[in-house]
Amino acid sequence: MKRKVQIGIITSMILILATSCGGHEDETKFNLEEMTWEEILEEAEGSEVRFYGWGGDQAINDWLNGFLAERILEQYGIILEWVPMNIDEILNKLQGEKQGNAVGTADMIWINGENFYTAKTNELLYGPFTEVLPNFVAYIDSEDVEVRYDFGFPTEGFEAPYGKAQFVMIYDEAQTPDPPVNHEEFLTYAKQYPGELTFPAPPDFTGSAFIRNLIYDIVGYEQFIGMEADEEVVREAIAPAIDYFKELKPYLWRSGETYPATIAQLENMFSDGEVRMVMAYNSNLVSQRISSGIFPETSTSVIFEKGTIGNGHFIAIPFNSPNKAGALVAINEILSVEVQSSKYDPENWGDLPVLNNDKLSQDERAVFNSVELGKGALPQDVLLENRLPEVPAPLVPIIDRIWMENLLD
Amino acid sequence: MKKQTSRAVLVVVALAFILPLMIILLWSVTVSWPFPDLFPREFGLRGLAQIFEEGSRALESLYTSVKISLWVTILTLMITIPGGKALGIYDFPGKAFIKIFALAPLIISPVAIGMGIHSTFIRLGLTNTELGVVLIHIVPGIPYGIRIFTNIFELVGNQLEEQGKVLGANSFQVFFHITLPTILPGLISAGSMIFIISFSQYFLTFLIGGGSVITFPLMMVPYIQSGDRTMAASYSAVFIVVTLCGLLAIEKVLKLYYSKSSGIAGAFYTRKKVKS
Repeated sequence: MKRKVQIGIITSMILILATSCGGHEDETKFNLEEMTWEEILEEAEGSEVRFYGWGGDQAINDWLNGFLAERILEQYGIILEWVPMNIDEILNKLQGEKQGNAVGTADMIWINGENFYTAKTNELLYGPFTEVLPNFVAYIDSEDVEVRYDFGFPTEGFEAPYGKAQFVMIYDEAQTPDPPVNHEEFLTYAKQYPGELTFPAPPDFTGSAFIRNLIYDIVGYEQFIGMEADEEVVREAIAPAIDYFKELKPYLWRSGETYPATIAQLENMFSDGEVRMVMAYNSNLVSQRISSGIFPETSTSVIFEKGTIGNGHFIAIPFNSPNKAGALVAINEILSVEVQSSKYDPENWGDLPVLNNDKLSQDERAVFNSVELGKGALPQDVLLENRLPEVPAPLVPIIDRIWMENLLD
Repeated sequence: MKKQTSRAVLVVVALAFILPLMIILLWSVTVSWPFPDLFPREFGLRGLAQIFEEGSRALESLYTSVKISLWVTILTLMITIPGGKALGIYDFPGKAFIKIFALAPLIISPVAIGMGIHSTFIRLGLTNTELGVVLIHIVPGIPYGIRIFTNIFELVGNQLEEQGKVLGANSFQVFFHITLPTILPGLISAGSMIFIISFSQYFLTFLIGGGSVITFPLMMVPYIQSGDRTMAASYSAVFIVVTLCGLLAIEKVLKLYYSKSSGIAGAFYTRKKVKS
């Protein structure tokens, strides 16, 4: 008798589990075309917006949780919740939710490059939405290559510009009064101080960018724009650069037999005085690191005379965002003069603004000019004049692979 | 002579555990600590200040973490005590197989388990909820609970329980006055183990919690990954202190409770202790 009751309970539990797998079909439809901006504002008021992105930098986290969240709450009564999470984990989550046809939790994601390419081709994003945003129309040059393309892949209004980054190399002036500004000088410098230079190996984002920057310096960047993603074509194009890396290798840290795995490791090595150079895909990182006491006071940033790679980073809205109206309002606010200038301040973050200078009024331009650049950073106009475009997104993993095949044992 | 060697071993072991902890504590208040220096050059409270500032997200997540881990501990114990008892005392066909099967969550990678359960939880509407996170945390705790309780019940047997029944106690009385007190040491070690396992989950939490449920490791891991040593050490220091407090609390509460309800099982337990 008891047995039978137990079996009965277990079978009914299994049945309940099995039958409740019906799924949730109530996808919130959100018709942008039919709504005016005022209606969107109204819909968004009092809601909660969840913003997902890389959360490894204390300064950025504090700015998002502090200034940005407060401002958006004050202006629109929207609660902005910042969720630190790596982009590949976010994309996995979205992919899972797409298969399960579920409403998501993320309303905004911080994204660019290959990840945007993956997200857009897998239809994980909502859009196009940028033309709806008043600040996008007012302040952004929609014809700008850096707005229209992200690592050579058309954005088509599925992501809004968030900030701009540019690659810089950082040296301690006290140690290196005359830092190298091209690949030949870099090699000479490495020979002069064997074992004291290195860079993170790909797939580290920054290390991979450094390799592309040296490739640009050796073979020029023009040929990569629009190059087809064919391994043989790429291999041939970068052959002289691969030879250069082979020549450089024995003079690197630990004779190039191993490389730091992440940029974080290299940063720690630089602040510990183990290497003479560190690099950053954020031109103002140096001043932020100096003021936190991590880098020496005399650290300074340098770019190659032929220029360094720059890219943009963006904000997109996931296809299953539960609060698209709130996301639109928050993104619009991020494109305001106040938020962009606060973000540009190295005390907060030091990220380059995305607003078009020609579209700004005298007063608005003055706001940006009044932002004081910190120690060791290069001014915005110097950077922009020496800014090179990124290679198309599909080429990035190919270049990384060829480099690894040739330089890692 | 023998005493001296064992003392030396003890010191080495203690250092091996304590030194890394000291370094974490030191790093949590360090501003700069260049390579050849034996001690940090400059101290500051950047990390700890961020954790303990007013309205801090870190403290909020700490509260969520403790709450979830306590629930997980209670629920996992409720599952593994009967499970361990069945495996430790009774004989039934397929017992050896089930014993190994109970360890499956340790053998199969949590990524694989998590992905599978994730899609089921989506259909059940359990993703992005604290309940979902509690349920998924039970999975990695089960093997430890089952293992510990199986061993305990193999040692203790069920004669005492049967004696209680013969003397007229009902099932509840037997469980609370005989079973629980006799398995107390296992209860403490399994409980602490399960608490720690749940408290340190990162991947399963973010997968099922989807960023709606933010636990302490979710705030901590990005700093460890990005290599900000001061922040990572500050979070780790708080993490260690809280888990230690959690463990002490579990042990104290259980011991206090069962030292009062001594009775026959208490006598059994003290007798055993004296013997060993």
